[in-house]
Amino acid sequence: MRPTENIEKLIEKLRYKTSTETHDRVLGNVLQALDEKEKQKPGVIKPDIWRTIMNSKITKLATAAAIIVAVLVSFHYLGGSASTVYADVVERLQKARTLLYTVTTTTPIEGMPDMEMEVAFKEPGYMRMTLPGGYVSVMDCMQGKALSIIPERKQFIEMEMSNLPADAGQREFNVIERLRTLPERADEALGDREIDGRMVQGYRVTEEGVTNTVWIDPKTRELVEVETEFDNAPGMSRTMANFKFDVELADSLFDLAPPDGYTRVGLQVDASEANEQDLVEYLRLWSTWTKDGTFPPTLNPVAMAKVAMEMQKEGKFRDGQTSEQDRLQHMMKLTRGVTFVMKLPAESNWRYAGENVKYGDSQTPIFWYKPEGSVTYHIIYGDLSVKNVSPENLPQ
Amino acid sequence: MLEDRLLLWKFKRGSRDAFRAIYEKYAGNMLTLAGNLLDDKVGAEDIVQDVFIKLVESVGTFRLTGSLKSYLATCVANRSRDCIRRRIRQRTAMTKQAEKTPAETKSTVHLAICSEQLRKLSNALTELPYEQREAIALRIHGNLGFRQIAELQNVSTKTVQSRYRYGLDKLRSTLNGEVEK
Repeated sequence: MRPTENIEKLIEKLRYKTSTETHDRVLGNVLQALDEKEKQKPGVIKPDIWRTIMNSKITKLATAAAIIVAVLVSFHYLGGSASTVYADVVERLQKARTLLYTVTTTTPIEGMPDMEMEVAFKEPGYMRMTLPGGYVSVMDCMQGKALSIIPERKQFIEMEMSNLPADAGQREFNVIERLRTLPERADEALGDREIDGRMVQGYRVTEEGVTNTVWIDPKTRELVEVETEFDNAPGMSRTMANFKFDVELADSLFDLAPPDGYTRVGLQVDASEANEQDLVEYLRLWSTWTKDGTFPPTLNPVAMAKVAMEMQKEGKFRDGQTSEQDRLQHMMKLTRGVTFVMKLPAESNWRYAGENVKYGDSQTPIFWYKPEGSVTYHIIYGDLSVKNVSPENLPQ
Repeated sequence: MLEDRLLLWKFKRGSRDAFRAIYEKYAGNMLTLAGNLLDDKVGAEDIVQDVFIKLVESVGTFRLTGSLKSYLATCVANRSRDCIRRRIRQRTAMTKQAEKTPAETKSTVHLAICSEQLRKLSNALTELPYEQREAIALRIHGNLGFRQIAELQNVSTKTVQSRYRYGLDKLRSTLNGEVEK
């Protein structure tokens, strides 16, 4: 009898091949599918995020939240310390007075094209974001004020940020401070590749559910591209590119004065770290949107957008008009609630079980997690009460 | 694996060359896998084409968690099962002879080495229960681990190991001219 390994080796030789003509034909068919896919691909998004928010029905709120959460969470996770290997890159970034770059946010949401915006920083704490179509947001982190311009409605949103962290002036720059240190903690060197005719070296860093892929030009020591992907939002990614340092940027670019003839919409923004109470508020808010008073089926921001679209089609949301002011406040609550969950580390062992549970059900646990440094878990019930329980008493 | 991730990364950004490189690297392997799973060479070719077209269509949302080869092998296995289910349904409407002959005659897919021993082995593999054949083909041609195959077949790892072992025993018996159980 043949030894087993001989049989396995023989089976390995059972290889099939096809004629060159057939191979070329199949490859041609697949490449044709690729061409058709390219033709169908929606272009870079033209409307701005604020328009999405302003027009928001619940589905759009959910979609907008998915994008905003990606932006906020990726900012949050770009943490780290100084590196010697990339000292030149670090030094250049530290010395930069201004910085320009582009951000492209991609979501797997059907029909949602990539969203591209240009970002400008200027010391000591100004930021300007520009989207195609003339949509502009300007922030003054020192004063805690921001302005968003919506040309098609001839409106501007004037935001007052409260609960800003003590180092608010440096907060936005920390994104860059942190960004430049990523390679030091790289888990994996990706080798070389070409981006726009430049040979660059790649590094991948995975931390707390977020993967950053960083490309640096070894000759000039410049940061070329950073791509961020999130475990809690599969399919969503952010790419930062086209970095430019110390470009002369006029102060007028960061002017918080609204354009003439535009109407004002005021908005109070809580800039503090999202917490458990934000999640509770979000769950309460959602239960008021559904006809049967149930909680969201999922807390995953990407899945949430899809689910909300399906629920809208099925007529599961209440009808009713809300003011623009309310819609913006809802947007903020939704974003903070989801952001809290997105930022929970894997060690928190969070679970969500709110699908089909109605608000007011005091017996059914809908969310539980272990707060940082705690030995017990917090459980949120269907009546939105919160209790402390030991690990052995967690719901099964 | 790193090279595959880089190719996928480039492909996601629209590189046609990167996609071509992925295809050239894995199309042959996948054809072999599909060929060994199905007793239908034209079907194998169609499956490989479908799997790569699906990869093109899903590139925007596609995220690789394991190796690309394992991912493609799993896709081939799933489609092969679908194909076999369809075939079983069709058999109720037409004779086996009428079903198989046209496909075989049109096929341009063939065994790369056509020794008598391999032809015998290929036929013996076709005669195995599908679950055993699938375990063997995915393990040897798809490079999948027993645990991955178990997830695909929705059974325990031990069951997959048994299917693999029984399958090999039968093939060995057939090749040695022994009476099968």
